[in-house]
Amino acid sequence: MESRILRPTLALYTVLFLLFLYGPMIVLTILSFQSADGGPQFPIREWSVYWYEHLLGFAETSRVSQLPVGDSLLRSIVLAFMTTVVSTVLGVMSAEAFRTRFKGSGPAFYLIILGMMVPGVLVGLGMALLSNTLGIARAWWGTSFVLHVVYTYPFAFLVMLAIFNRFDRTVEEASLSLGVSPAQTFRRVTFPIIFPGVLSAMLFSFTLSYDEFARTLFTAGRDLTLPLAIYGTFSVEIYPNIFAFGVLTTLFSFTLLVIYGLLMKRFTSKASRYSGQEDA
Amino acid sequence: MLTLNQVSRRYGGATALDGVDFVVPENTYMALLGASGAGKTTLLRLIAGFEEPDQGTISLNGARIDGQPSHLRDIGFVFQNFALFPHLTVAENVAFGLRHRAHAPLTNEAEIKDRTDAALQLVSLTGFGHRGVSAISGGQRQRVALARTLVCEPRIVLLDEPLGALDANLRSRMCDELKAIRERLGVSFLHVTGSETEALTMGDQVAVLANGRIMQSDAPDTLFSHPGNAEAARHLNAWNIFDAGLCRGDLGQGPIAVRFDQIDVSAKGTAPSARPSLQATYLTGEFNGPTALSFFRAADGTLLQVVDHLSQPRLPDLVEGQGYDLHFAADALRQFHGAA
Repeated sequence: MESRILRPTLALYTVLFLLFLYGPMIVLTILSFQSADGGPQFPIREWSVYWYEHLLGFAETSRVSQLPVGDSLLRSIVLAFMTTVVSTVLGVMSAEAFRTRFKGSGPAFYLIILGMMVPGVLVGLGMALLSNTLGIARAWWGTSFVLHVVYTYPFAFLVMLAIFNRFDRTVEEASLSLGVSPAQTFRRVTFPIIFPGVLSAMLFSFTLSYDEFARTLFTAGRDLTLPLAIYGTFSVEIYPNIFAFGVLTTLFSFTLLVIYGLLMKRFTSKASRYSGQEDA
Repeated sequence: MLTLNQVSRRYGGATALDGVDFVVPENTYMALLGASGAGKTTLLRLIAGFEEPDQGTISLNGARIDGQPSHLRDIGFVFQNFALFPHLTVAENVAFGLRHRAHAPLTNEAEIKDRTDAALQLVSLTGFGHRGVSAISGGQRQRVALARTLVCEPRIVLLDEPLGALDANLRSRMCDELKAIRERLGVSFLHVTGSETEALTMGDQVAVLANGRIMQSDAPDTLFSHPGNAEAARHLNAWNIFDAGLCRGDLGQGPIAVRFDQIDVSAKGTAPSARPSLQATYLTGEFNGPTALSFFRAADGTLLQVVDHLSQPRLPDLVEGQGYDLHFAADALRQFHGAA
């Protein structure tokens, strides 16, 4: 009786909420198809893909200069990749360590988690001052990279901690009792079982690093990453080419998600390949 | 031969094992009986090397194995939850040890396949090799776990309540199969269980673990008919243990034990004078098929049980709440000295 009213209401609420969430994204996408003489606002004067051509350098010369995103995009991807690898490896290793209680495990836990709690602006500034004091040049692959790891490593760590929490230790003991060394046991048993978690940790690290702003702002030095480069263009004037770029990067992120989903699916279905008659 | 000498293990303030002396002879099916929380699993984990004893030594065929990493001990372990590798097929599970073990791994695929097939045949799972382990039943998983352990030819196989996760029918069938498989291989099994029926059925020898020690280790019929102490008798779930002072006649003091099936019941005051007897109130009865259990409460509150076999009924009609005389032959009682 109650659900006859409650369910549709909740459904409507959910739809509205999702619209609200994705509203900006939708507006951005529509505006990215503005014509060459149109601005970054409604109405659409004429539908076109001009700004995509402009972005990719196919358009004829115009009064608007091309977005300086090529190099910074590459930098951001490389940085996110480096961060992903290091954070995930660290996350898996420390989560493995936290499976057994050790002296100082409590403080160690909070010190790791602190990396995602402290405000990015502060850490960024602190790192900038520190590198100045020590005479280390600031660079996206150096100072920024370290901060990205500090920031994303707790996320990877927490994901892996949750995975290990549900992990059945006896399968590892079974492997040991079969004469398989601890290292081989990790490689052949533990890792394949926690792999979906590792994928999630990687996804977290990558996306967090890819659009990190505050920490990078103070520590990237001369060569900018993508979020910094985009922010830089705002200070001049906004054209729809930035929207076109937004749509393309979103597509890129979706591709990552799809790859993640496919890997997950492939992996989790492997365990229950067989379907057929059950008998005792 | 597996020998445990004065093995102790404590967790914080709690003592799980307190100076265990225990021997598992060659080519023996040893059943280890204990209540839950008695330290049975701890004992197995110490032998397998998943944990180390605080004191004492463990040796296998004369060589000490405590302190050795578990993957070098050459001891098989069958887990209660089977602990199969979920990401591998049945055949891959069985071949896992052969393929990846640190000592003398096999690389010849044909040989691995032959031995895997032979192991699957041993546990009657021929043709199941390609299946995922989530796609087989509980009894089959148990047999995969066994095949996976046996294929590596361990020096001794530890089984931690291996039948606990199975239903009753399957359990009795697996009992027979386990025994048969062990006899074919000639390797010692150490089977831990909380069920006295399972222990008595399976074991060539049965050991009782209680209060962190081995209370008795004997052949099943000896243990059943002549428990050496009250603890051992209590675990067999077939003995009434009560204070000798409750009985008419001069039986002295201290705990004595009389088997459920060796107590007779008569109306109050009619017990034969030649037999030791005691008075108790009938509480209730419990019918479980071929036998019926009757519960009595003695004067000091001790609960007494009497078994009646349906084919040879020997109890009178009992009325709840009424007092009766319980009596037994003088040679049916076991008297324990010292330990309660």
